[in-house]
Amino acid sequence: MLNKEVSFTPMDVITSVYNYLKPRIWGMILALLFLSVIVVSIAFTSWPTMDQLPQNLEDQSYIEGIGVLIFTEFVIPFEILSIVLLSSLMGAIYMAKGDDNK
Amino acid sequence: MIPIALYLALAAIIFSIGLYGLMTQRSGIRILMCVELMLNAANINLVAFSSYHHDLTGQVFALFSIALAACEAAIGFAILLALYRMKDTISLDHINILRW
Amino acid sequence: MAVENYAFLIPLLPALAFVLTFFLGKKLPKGGAIIPIVAITISFVISLLITLNLLANPEEVINQSYSWFAILNIGILVDPLAAVMLTMVSLVSLLIHIYSVGYMSHDKSPSRYFAETALFTASMLGLVLSDNILQLFVCWELVGVCSYLLIGFWYEKPSAATAAKKAFLTTRVGDVMFLAGIIILFSDLFKIFNGTIPDGIYILRFDEIFAHIPDIAAMNANIFGMEVSHITLITLLFFGGAIGKSGQFPLHVWLPDAMEGPTTVSALIHAATMVTAGVYLVARTFPMFIAAPDSLMVVAYVGAFTAIFAATMGIVMNDLKRVLAYSTISQLGYMMLGLGVGAAIGAEAVGISLFHLINHAFFKALLFLCAGSVIHAVGTHDMRQLGGVAKVMPITAATMVAASLALAGIGIPGTSIGTSGFFSKDAIIENAYLFGDTTGAWIPYALSIVAALLTSLYIFRLLFMTFYGKPRTDYGGHESPGSMTVPLSILALFALFFGGLTSKTFNTFVSETFVNNFVNLNIHELASIGGYHLASHGGHHEPMLILWMPLIVALVGFLIAFLIYGLKIVNMDSLVSRNNPIYKLLYNRYYQNAIFTDFFSVKVIYEGFAFAGRAIERGFDWIVNWLSNLTLEAGESLRQFQTGVVQNYATVVITGVSLLVILIKVVMEVI
Repeated sequence: MLNKEVSFTPMDVITSVYNYLKPRIWGMILALLFLSVIVVSIAFTSWPTMDQLPQNLEDQSYIEGIGVLIFTEFVIPFEILSIVLLSSLMGAIYMAKGDDNK
Repeated sequence: MIPIALYLALAAIIFSIGLYGLMTQRSGIRILMCVELMLNAANINLVAFSSYHHDLTGQVFALFSIALAACEAAIGFAILLALYRMKDTISLDHINILRW
Repeated sequence: MAVENYAFLIPLLPALAFVLTFFLGKKLPKGGAIIPIVAITISFVISLLITLNLLANPEEVINQSYSWFAILNIGILVDPLAAVMLTMVSLVSLLIHIYSVGYMSHDKSPSRYFAETALFTASMLGLVLSDNILQLFVCWELVGVCSYLLIGFWYEKPSAATAAKKAFLTTRVGDVMFLAGIIILFSDLFKIFNGTIPDGIYILRFDEIFAHIPDIAAMNANIFGMEVSHITLITLLFFGGAIGKSGQFPLHVWLPDAMEGPTTVSALIHAATMVTAGVYLVARTFPMFIAAPDSLMVVAYVGAFTAIFAATMGIVMNDLKRVLAYSTISQLGYMMLGLGVGAAIGAEAVGISLFHLINHAFFKALLFLCAGSVIHAVGTHDMRQLGGVAKVMPITAATMVAASLALAGIGIPGTSIGTSGFFSKDAIIENAYLFGDTTGAWIPYALSIVAALLTSLYIFRLLFMTFYGKPRTDYGGHESPGSMTVPLSILALFALFFGGLTSKTFNTFVSETFVNNFVNLNIHELASIGGYHLASHGGHHEPMLILWMPLIVALVGFLIAFLIYGLKIVNMDSLVSRNNPIYKLLYNRYYQNAIFTDFFSVKVIYEGFAFAGRAIERGFDWIVNWLSNLTLEAGESLRQFQTGVVQNYATVVITGVSLLVILIKVVMEVI
């Protein structure tokens, strides 16, 4: 090129697109394939209960019910989860701390 | 009302984005984020079905799943931190000392 | 006391003695020699009682069978044939054991020696007692193993180790033939029973085998375009086993080398056990041989040839023990000849041959023990360094003379005066004459007469060179202790008088083994299967010359030996020189080593196997390398899939799931 001004030829665009796509194209294709499979499955599945069910806004975010459930029916998983959370936090701290301060 | 199929489609799209990221990205943090995306896509499904079936169990389960995702994120970032300290990089391409 | 009930103890006691001596012998004085001696004494007493009982009541044959597995059994069979063998084996073995106490007193591991000889004796007794051919084969192999162990007793000597290996491998050739014979026999019998064998019938038992000889004879095999009856095939294979074990030509090569073991072992191998096993096998299966005249011919010719072949080599050997070794081969040839002439005289051949076997056991054990006594005292077994030993060791020399007379077969025909070798060997030679008279095959007779001359020549040469004249070197020496001279004296008595005292009873006793006892066979009928007729019995009218011939040639042999080695009339140097081609040929043992070892085994077998081995090895190497390379390369390429990168796994999983769903969808649509 004689001039230093930047100019885009169609070839440059194609090349840059190509360079962008080249490492990603298979991932893209696969993701799209998976997406299409799922979307097609959803679309062609009849959801019979969908329309008959009463739609109530209050019902949809019934926080109190969730709390009650957690502390009654799911109390043991909840406690276990708390322990898992605690231990994972301890592990994370231990790992992230490193051995700077001996 | 919004039909359930749309919730499911949204979840599928989010999941696919996570999937795409998981398959193509090389940075540890991006991959962790993509995994979170996929987890949360699943959570959307859980909540959607829970709401449509008037069964709060699904929402409780989604809560638990979020808590577990927090654990996973904490551990994952800690590992990445340790890796960074050791290798000065978090690109997973270079974490191959156990590989053949 | 019913002694029959204790017959099973005969081989078991020495076997027990083997175990005890092996583990406890080191802690006992004299290597625990007392254990096998006591055990074999008891065996001997039982055998003797059984034999005497059988002599009085010939019908009381002991036959006990127990089911082993399927259609095979283990059992004991003591008929006259087995009884005399048992008595002889246990007696000779007992005397050798007693003798060994003195002989092995300076050895460093006498307990191993006594354990191995006890096992040797046990396996030989078990072989004799067997009532079926498979059990016989098992004991046969045990005998082979023990001979290997004993010949290589001084295994730190390379020559002993080599000799043991040679003995084992050479007899193995025969063993394989024997086994092949058993396999053919088994399949034939199986065919005869159409594969359904009734309970209580064990098809490899001797009575079953003998009962089906006509059926087996009816089967024909086509070998190289020749129709061969199965009975001929089986008997020839059995004889092959006997050739290996009994050192017949051409598998005799191991026997002279077997002298590398202790002299007592040589005595045991050559007199009581091992080599007699082959003769015993042929005698045991004699009804089968009777039905196969071709095999009997082979037996007769091989026996006669071996007798003269080994005798010629015995003349020129300078090693005391080697002369005796060739003498053993030669005498075994006589025994085989004695069995072979059964084609003319029927079952009487078994009696004659066994008679020679027993007599030979006595005088050959005596010869070896005398030689051992000399070697023990003097420390050399090269006859050229000996001479005049009789002055130092009078008892040994006297017993040696007795043994030599027995071997040469000195006696007066027509009377019962003579050494034991006279009665049995002359009987064999006379029957060889009858055999020639009947069948027109005179070669065995001619060979046996010449061999008798040579026998006398080599044994008296040994005697003159070793015991008389002036000592050629200063060797010192002393008479052996009592534990060695007492067995020598006992054996000398047997060698001198056993034949004369028992010749009449023995022949009828053993010859009737197959006629009136355990199995009741019509030998003439069996012979007619083979398509020939036995010579008429009763009127043995040989010319006078034939009766006197063996004695005459023996005396001639003695005279030659006396003139050359006793009076030194003929200058030996003119004969014994490297320039005399006959001497050279004999001294080099007909170049057997050159032929068998250097050419046959080294060139043909060793190099052939080496070549084949290399080719096969290369082939296998290629296959193995190819396989390993295949796996390596497959792994190399397949491990690329195992990247260890989770993302790749996720990719694959997702791809798979997507494709699976699509596939299911498509398939569902189609359906």
